[in-house]
Amino acid sequence: MTAATDAAKAVTTTAGAERSIVAFCCRECAYAAADASANARTPLPPTVRLVLLPCTGRVSPLHLLSALAEGADGVMVAGCLEGQCHYREGNFNAIDRVKFVQRLLESVGVEPERCRMFTMSAGEPPKFVAAVREMDRVVGALPPLARRAAGEPALAATGGEH
Amino acid sequence: MPLTDRGREILKRLPATHARSSGSIGCEIVRHEDLCIGCGTCPRNCPTGASRRGATFDVHQLLDAPAGSRRGELGAALRRLMRSQPSGPVEVPPRVTVYRTILYDGERCIGCGSCARNCPVEAIEARPPEVPATAPEGEGAEVTS
Repeated sequence: MTAATDAAKAVTTTAGAERSIVAFCCRECAYAAADASANARTPLPPTVRLVLLPCTGRVSPLHLLSALAEGADGVMVAGCLEGQCHYREGNFNAIDRVKFVQRLLESVGVEPERCRMFTMSAGEPPKFVAAVREMDRVVGALPPLARRAAGEPALAATGGEH
Repeated sequence: MPLTDRGREILKRLPATHARSSGSIGCEIVRHEDLCIGCGTCPRNCPTGASRRGATFDVHQLLDAPAGSRRGELGAALRRLMRSQPSGPVEVPPRVTVYRTILYDGERCIGCGSCARNCPVEAIEARPPEVPATAPEGEGAEVTS
């Protein structure tokens, strides 16, 4: 599960920063768009860390949730336009998995906006930059994500804090 | 006693009520939801459609899953983020396949035990039907041997 360890590594390097966002990018489109925007010297928000995936279909709920649990305040998945996946339907899988993670987060009282899916084509670097800025704006408006230490006992079954 | 393919075919043709009353099969099916990985093998092998993939997922199945399993890892991550107890089952989008609660309908089940035999994680137990207490001991011994 190299993508998950990459995500964890990406998070630990930004421990000092205020917020951190992990962006899982498809190699065929979003990463290419990110590359092009970097070549054009468009600044990205410093909070974002990119994780390269061969296709967004690789992303599993475990990647998204463990990134959040290990220190990210938001995760985004950036893939191809609907119907234009290089591997035919990887991005449809990713869209549904992101939706599932949002519902999981919502059911345990965490803001579902912390996990989002964006679609773009390789020829749209401005769209990628806009997506990252949008994510940065949304996550920046939310309080830092509170999390328990790994060994800490879970919430008592008698009732939540809300 | 594994069912042969032929046996499975015959089982499919049997009306469920007949098979249940016949007493030849009729194991008691016990499901351990915390061990279930949602692979969907039991619905695939069920001759009567008693177990089905549900449209929802109970978040407690993640939180209670044993450590080391995929669901357990997901549950551990979720537990670190958790602010309140999960508020009921969540709707599952169509393309998410393994994070689903398997629905089990005891009324339609004929107790053939094919789910228990095929379960890759032994989350289903098929307890053999109890031998009636009135049966003569000699015959009972013959059956069990």
